[in-house]
Amino acid sequence: MRASSETISDLLLGARDILPMAFAAATYGTAFGLVATQSGFSFLQSFTMSAMVFGGSAQLVALDQLTAGAGVAAAVVAGAALNLRILLITASMRAALIQRPWWQIATGVHLATDASVALMQTAKQRGALASYWYLFGGGALLLLVWVFSTSVGAVLSRGIPDPARFGLDFAIVAVFIALLPGLWRGKRDLAPWLTASGIVAVFVLTIPDFAGWALLFGAVSGAVVAGVRHEE
Amino acid sequence: MKNEIWLTVIGLGLASFAIRLSGYFLALRLPQSGAWTRGLEALPGCLIAALVALMMLKGGTIELLAGGTVLLVAARTRNLPISMLVGILIVAGLRQFA
Repeated sequence: MRASSETISDLLLGARDILPMAFAAATYGTAFGLVATQSGFSFLQSFTMSAMVFGGSAQLVALDQLTAGAGVAAAVVAGAALNLRILLITASMRAALIQRPWWQIATGVHLATDASVALMQTAKQRGALASYWYLFGGGALLLLVWVFSTSVGAVLSRGIPDPARFGLDFAIVAVFIALLPGLWRGKRDLAPWLTASGIVAVFVLTIPDFAGWALLFGAVSGAVVAGVRHEE
Repeated sequence: MKNEIWLTVIGLGLASFAIRLSGYFLALRLPQSGAWTRGLEALPGCLIAALVALMMLKGGTIELLAGGTVLLVAARTRNLPISMLVGILIVAGLRQFA
Protein backbone atom coordinates (compact mmCIF):
# COMPACT_ATOMS: atom_id res chain seq x y z
CA MET A 1 0.00 0.00 0.00
CA ARG A 2 2.96 2.29 0.49
CA ALA A 3 3.53 2.46 -3.23
CA SER A 4 -0.01 3.65 -3.93
CA SER A 5 0.03 6.40 -1.33
CA GLU A 6 3.30 7.56 -2.87
CA THR A 7 1.55 7.59 -6.24
CA ILE A 8 -1.22 9.80 -4.89
CA SER A 9 1.12 12.24 -3.20
CA ASP A 10 3.17 12.51 -6.42
CA LEU A 11 -0.01 13.14 -8.40
CA LEU A 12 -1.09 15.90 -6.02
CA LEU A 13 2.36 17.47 -5.91
CA GLY A 14 2.50 17.57 -9.71
CA ALA A 15 -0.96 19.13 -9.85
CA ARG A 16 0.09 21.75 -7.31
CA ASP A 17 3.36 22.61 -9.06
CA ILE A 18 1.60 23.09 -12.42
CA LEU A 19 -0.80 25.75 -11.08
CA PRO A 20 1.04 28.86 -12.39
CA MET A 21 1.29 27.25 -15.84
CA ALA A 22 -2.36 26.21 -15.62
CA PHE A 23 -3.33 29.83 -15.01
CA ALA A 24 -1.36 30.93 -18.06
CA ALA A 25 -2.89 28.10 -20.11
CA ALA A 26 -6.41 29.09 -19.01
CA THR A 27 -6.07 32.58 -20.46
CA TYR A 28 -4.50 31.25 -23.66
CA GLY A 29 -7.13 28.49 -23.93
CA THR A 30 -10.03 30.90 -23.55
CA ALA A 31 -8.52 33.07 -26.26
CA PHE A 32 -8.13 30.04 -28.52
CA GLY A 33 -11.74 28.92 -28.02
CA LEU A 34 -12.91 32.42 -28.86
CA VAL A 35 -10.89 32.67 -32.07
CA ALA A 36 -11.85 29.12 -33.10
CA THR A 37 -15.58 29.80 -32.80
CA GLN A 38 -15.20 33.06 -34.70
CA SER A 39 -13.36 31.16 -37.46
CA GLY A 40 -16.24 28.71 -37.87
CA PHE A 41 -15.18 25.85 -35.58
CA SER A 42 -18.05 24.06 -33.84
CA PHE A 43 -17.86 23.51 -30.10
CA LEU A 44 -16.99 19.84 -30.63
CA GLN A 45 -14.24 20.73 -33.07
CA SER A 46 -12.49 23.16 -30.67
CA PHE A 47 -12.94 20.67 -27.84
CA THR A 48 -11.49 17.77 -29.85
CA MET A 49 -8.60 19.87 -31.11
CA SER A 50 -7.59 20.98 -27.62
CA ALA A 51 -7.88 17.43 -26.26
CA MET A 52 -5.89 15.84 -29.09
CA VAL A 53 -3.31 18.47 -30.07
CA PHE A 54 -2.74 19.96 -26.58
CA GLY A 55 -0.48 22.75 -27.84
CA GLY A 56 -1.72 26.33 -28.01
CA SER A 57 0.62 27.73 -30.63
CA ALA A 58 0.20 24.68 -32.90
CA GLN A 59 -3.59 24.93 -32.69
CA LEU A 60 -3.59 28.67 -33.43
CA VAL A 61 -1.25 28.32 -36.40
CA ALA A 62 -3.23 25.44 -37.92
CA LEU A 63 -6.45 27.38 -37.49
CA ASP A 64 -4.84 30.44 -39.02
CA GLN A 65 -3.59 28.50 -42.06
CA LEU A 66 -7.01 26.89 -42.54
CA THR A 67 -8.95 30.15 -42.41
CA ALA A 68 -6.37 31.72 -44.74
CA GLY A 69 -7.39 29.06 -47.26
CA ALA A 70 -4.07 27.20 -47.27
CA GLY A 71 -5.80 23.80 -47.16
CA VAL A 72 -5.79 20.88 -44.76
CA ALA A 73 -2.29 19.59 -45.55
CA ALA A 74 -0.63 22.97 -45.07
CA ALA A 75 -2.55 23.55 -41.83
CA VAL A 76 -1.53 20.17 -40.40
CA VAL A 77 2.12 20.58 -41.41
CA ALA A 78 2.34 24.10 -39.96
CA GLY A 79 0.77 22.98 -36.67
CA ALA A 80 2.91 19.86 -36.49
CA ALA A 81 6.05 21.93 -37.06
CA LEU A 82 5.22 23.94 -33.94
CA ASN A 83 4.54 20.82 -31.90
CA LEU A 84 7.76 19.16 -33.11
CA ARG A 85 9.60 20.68 -30.17
CA ILE A 86 7.59 18.43 -27.84
CA LEU A 87 9.61 15.57 -29.30
CA LEU A 88 12.57 17.05 -27.44
CA ILE A 89 10.54 17.15 -24.22
CA THR A 90 9.33 13.53 -24.35
CA ALA A 91 12.94 12.62 -25.12
CA SER A 92 14.04 14.23 -21.87
CA MET A 93 11.22 12.41 -19.99
CA ARG A 94 12.90 9.08 -20.76
CA ALA A 95 13.81 8.28 -17.15
CA ALA A 96 10.21 8.68 -15.96
CA LEU A 97 8.68 6.66 -18.80
CA ILE A 98 11.09 3.76 -19.17
CA GLN A 99 9.88 0.32 -18.02
CA ARG A 100 6.28 1.51 -17.78
CA PRO A 101 3.48 -0.47 -19.43
CA TRP A 102 2.70 0.72 -22.97
CA TRP A 103 -0.57 2.43 -22.05
CA GLN A 104 1.19 4.48 -19.37
CA ILE A 105 3.85 5.49 -21.88
CA ALA A 106 1.14 6.48 -24.36
CA THR A 107 -0.70 8.55 -21.74
CA GLY A 108 2.51 10.00 -20.34
CA VAL A 109 3.79 11.29 -23.68
CA HIS A 110 0.39 12.75 -24.56
CA LEU A 111 0.51 14.83 -21.37
CA ALA A 112 3.92 16.29 -22.28
CA THR A 113 4.04 20.03 -22.96
CA ASP A 114 6.48 22.89 -22.39
CA ALA A 115 5.13 22.94 -18.84
CA SER A 116 6.64 19.46 -18.31
CA VAL A 117 10.03 21.14 -18.53
CA ALA A 118 8.99 23.34 -15.63
CA LEU A 119 7.87 20.30 -13.62
CA MET A 120 11.13 18.44 -14.24
CA GLN A 121 12.99 21.58 -13.23
CA THR A 122 11.00 21.98 -10.02
CA ALA A 123 11.59 18.34 -9.09
CA LYS A 124 15.30 18.76 -9.73
CA GLN A 125 15.49 21.77 -7.42
CA ARG A 126 13.98 19.57 -4.71
CA GLY A 127 16.80 17.13 -5.36
CA ALA A 128 14.70 14.38 -6.97
CA LEU A 129 14.01 13.18 -10.49
CA ALA A 130 10.47 13.89 -11.70
CA SER A 131 8.53 10.63 -11.27
CA TYR A 132 5.97 9.30 -13.73
CA TRP A 133 2.99 10.12 -11.50
CA TYR A 134 4.33 13.57 -10.67
CA LEU A 135 4.46 14.44 -14.38
CA PHE A 136 1.10 12.71 -14.87
CA GLY A 137 -0.60 14.74 -12.13
CA GLY A 138 0.67 18.03 -13.52
CA GLY A 139 0.00 17.10 -17.16
CA ALA A 140 -3.51 15.80 -16.49
CA LEU A 141 -4.55 18.93 -14.61
CA LEU A 142 -3.09 21.10 -17.35
CA LEU A 143 -5.00 19.14 -20.03
CA LEU A 144 -8.25 19.50 -18.06
CA VAL A 145 -7.74 23.24 -17.65
CA TRP A 146 -6.76 23.57 -21.30
CA VAL A 147 -9.83 21.74 -22.61
CA PHE A 148 -12.14 23.46 -20.13
CA SER A 149 -10.89 26.98 -20.89
CA THR A 150 -11.10 26.32 -24.64
CA SER A 151 -14.71 25.25 -24.14
CA VAL A 152 -15.49 28.36 -22.09
CA GLY A 153 -14.00 30.55 -24.82
CA ALA A 154 -15.90 28.64 -27.51
CA VAL A 155 -19.23 28.90 -25.68
CA LEU A 156 -18.97 32.56 -24.73
CA SER A 157 -17.17 33.58 -27.93
CA ARG A 158 -18.52 37.09 -27.53
CA GLY A 159 -18.67 39.33 -24.52
CA ILE A 160 -15.32 38.27 -23.08
CA PRO A 161 -13.15 41.35 -22.53
CA ASP A 162 -9.93 41.34 -24.53
CA PRO A 163 -7.35 39.47 -22.39
CA ALA A 164 -4.58 41.69 -23.77
CA ARG A 165 -6.09 44.68 -21.99
CA PHE A 166 -5.23 43.08 -18.66
CA GLY A 167 -1.83 41.87 -19.79
CA LEU A 168 -3.06 38.28 -19.55
CA ASP A 169 -1.60 37.35 -22.92
CA PHE A 170 1.79 37.98 -21.31
CA ALA A 171 1.23 35.31 -18.64
CA ILE A 172 2.56 32.51 -20.83
CA VAL A 173 5.59 34.58 -21.88
CA ALA A 174 6.35 35.43 -18.26
CA VAL A 175 6.21 31.73 -17.29
CA PHE A 176 8.89 30.80 -19.80
CA ILE A 177 11.12 33.74 -18.86
CA ALA A 178 10.76 32.87 -15.17
CA LEU A 179 11.93 29.31 -15.94
CA LEU A 180 15.28 30.51 -17.30
CA PRO A 181 17.14 31.22 -14.02
CA GLY A 182 16.28 27.74 -12.75
CA LEU A 183 17.40 26.06 -15.96
CA TRP A 184 20.69 27.97 -16.04
CA ARG A 185 23.50 25.63 -14.96
CA GLY A 186 26.28 28.19 -15.11
CA LYS A 187 28.71 29.41 -17.76
CA ARG A 188 28.68 26.15 -19.70
CA ASP A 189 25.11 26.98 -20.77
CA LEU A 190 26.10 30.32 -22.30
CA ALA A 191 27.25 29.06 -25.72
CA PRO A 192 24.35 26.58 -26.17
CA TRP A 193 21.71 29.15 -25.16
CA LEU A 194 23.20 31.87 -27.38
CA THR A 195 23.27 29.38 -30.25
CA ALA A 196 19.65 28.38 -29.70
CA SER A 197 18.25 31.89 -29.35
CA GLY A 198 20.55 33.31 -32.06
CA ILE A 199 19.35 30.77 -34.62
CA VAL A 200 15.72 31.50 -33.73
CA ALA A 201 16.37 35.22 -34.16
CA VAL A 202 17.99 34.77 -37.57
CA PHE A 203 15.12 32.52 -38.68
CA VAL A 204 12.41 34.89 -37.48
CA LEU A 205 14.03 37.94 -39.04
CA THR A 206 14.58 36.25 -42.41
CA ILE A 207 11.75 33.70 -42.85
CA PRO A 208 9.12 34.55 -40.19
CA ASP A 209 6.66 31.85 -41.30
CA PHE A 210 8.80 28.98 -40.09
CA ALA A 211 8.76 29.58 -36.34
CA GLY A 212 8.18 25.90 -35.57
CA TRP A 213 11.24 24.77 -37.48
CA ALA A 214 13.25 27.64 -36.03
CA LEU A 215 12.47 26.40 -32.51
CA LEU A 216 13.45 22.83 -33.28
CA PHE A 217 16.57 23.73 -35.23
CA GLY A 218 17.66 26.32 -32.65
CA ALA A 219 17.18 24.04 -29.64
CA VAL A 220 18.89 21.07 -31.29
CA SER A 221 21.83 23.23 -32.41
CA GLY A 222 22.23 24.51 -28.86
CA ALA A 223 22.21 20.94 -27.55
CA VAL A 224 24.80 19.93 -30.15
CA VAL A 225 27.06 22.76 -29.00
CA ALA A 226 26.65 21.53 -25.41
CA GLY A 227 27.36 17.96 -26.47
CA VAL A 228 30.47 18.71 -28.47
CA ARG A 229 32.10 20.93 -25.85
CA HIS A 230 34.05 19.20 -23.12
CA GLU A 231 34.81 21.68 -20.37
CA GLU A 232 32.63 21.55 -17.29
CA MET B 1 -15.22 23.89 -44.66
CA LYS B 2 -16.74 21.68 -41.97
CA ASN B 3 -14.98 18.60 -43.30
CA GLU B 4 -11.75 20.53 -43.76
CA ILE B 5 -11.84 21.55 -40.11
CA TRP B 6 -12.43 17.96 -38.96
CA LEU B 7 -9.62 16.65 -41.17
CA THR B 8 -7.23 19.29 -39.76
CA VAL B 9 -8.27 18.61 -36.17
CA ILE B 10 -7.86 14.84 -36.45
CA GLY B 11 -4.78 15.07 -38.68
CA LEU B 12 -2.93 17.47 -36.38
CA GLY B 13 -4.05 15.47 -33.34
CA LEU B 14 -2.60 12.24 -34.72
CA ALA B 15 0.56 14.02 -35.89
CA SER B 16 1.05 15.53 -32.42
CA PHE B 17 0.71 12.14 -30.77
CA ALA B 18 3.17 10.60 -33.22
CA ILE B 19 5.63 13.43 -32.46
CA ARG B 20 5.31 12.92 -28.70
CA LEU B 21 5.75 9.16 -28.96
CA SER B 22 8.72 9.35 -31.30
CA GLY B 23 10.61 11.64 -28.91
CA TYR B 24 10.54 8.92 -26.28
CA PHE B 25 11.57 6.16 -28.71
CA LEU B 26 14.32 8.36 -30.07
CA ALA B 27 15.68 8.86 -26.54
CA LEU B 28 15.65 5.07 -26.00
CA ARG B 29 18.01 4.59 -28.93
CA LEU B 30 20.45 7.32 -28.03
CA PRO B 31 23.57 6.35 -26.09
CA GLN B 32 23.33 7.29 -22.42
CA SER B 33 26.83 8.67 -22.03
CA GLY B 34 29.31 11.27 -23.20
CA ALA B 35 28.41 13.88 -25.76
CA TRP B 36 24.84 12.57 -26.24
CA THR B 37 24.08 12.92 -22.53
CA ARG B 38 25.57 16.40 -22.37
CA GLY B 39 23.46 17.38 -25.34
CA LEU B 40 20.25 15.84 -23.98
CA GLU B 41 20.77 17.45 -20.58
CA ALA B 42 21.23 20.85 -22.19
CA LEU B 43 18.14 20.40 -24.37
CA PRO B 44 15.37 21.71 -22.03
CA GLY B 45 17.31 24.92 -21.33
CA CYS B 46 18.07 25.46 -25.01
CA LEU B 47 14.42 24.87 -25.92
CA ILE B 48 13.08 27.38 -23.40
CA ALA B 49 15.79 29.90 -24.38
CA ALA B 50 14.69 29.49 -28.01
CA LEU B 51 11.00 29.91 -27.07
CA VAL B 52 11.72 33.07 -25.09
CA ALA B 53 13.80 34.49 -27.95
CA LEU B 54 10.89 33.88 -30.31
CA MET B 55 8.35 35.47 -27.97
CA MET B 56 10.53 38.50 -27.25
CA LEU B 57 11.16 39.12 -30.95
CA LYS B 58 7.41 39.20 -31.52
CA GLY B 59 6.80 41.69 -28.69
CA GLY B 60 7.33 45.42 -28.56
CA THR B 61 9.07 47.72 -26.07
CA ILE B 62 6.50 47.06 -23.33
CA GLU B 63 6.97 43.30 -23.59
CA LEU B 64 10.77 43.67 -23.60
CA LEU B 65 10.69 45.84 -20.49
CA ALA B 66 8.33 43.47 -18.71
CA GLY B 67 10.35 40.45 -19.86
CA GLY B 68 13.59 41.91 -18.49
CA THR B 69 11.94 42.65 -15.16
CA VAL B 70 10.45 39.14 -14.94
CA LEU B 71 13.91 37.69 -15.53
CA LEU B 72 15.39 39.78 -12.70
CA VAL B 73 12.54 38.96 -10.30
CA ALA B 74 12.73 35.25 -11.15
CA ALA B 75 16.51 35.20 -10.68
CA ARG B 76 16.13 36.88 -7.30
CA THR B 77 13.05 35.12 -5.91
CA ARG B 78 12.99 31.81 -7.85
CA ASN B 79 9.24 32.10 -7.46
CA LEU B 80 7.19 31.37 -10.58
CA PRO B 81 3.78 32.79 -9.55
CA ILE B 82 5.27 36.04 -8.24
CA SER B 83 7.43 36.51 -11.34
CA MET B 84 4.43 35.87 -13.58
CA LEU B 85 2.25 38.32 -11.67
CA VAL B 86 4.89 41.07 -11.88
CA GLY B 87 5.09 40.57 -15.65
CA ILE B 88 1.31 40.72 -16.12
CA LEU B 89 1.00 43.83 -13.96
CA ILE B 90 3.76 45.69 -15.82
CA VAL B 91 2.29 44.84 -19.22
CA ALA B 92 -1.26 45.72 -18.13
CA GLY B 93 -0.07 48.97 -16.54
CA LEU B 94 2.09 50.16 -19.42
CA ARG B 95 -0.57 49.30 -22.01
CA GLN B 96 -2.90 51.81 -20.37
CA PHE B 97 -0.58 54.53 -21.66
CA ALA B 98 0.31 52.98 -24.99
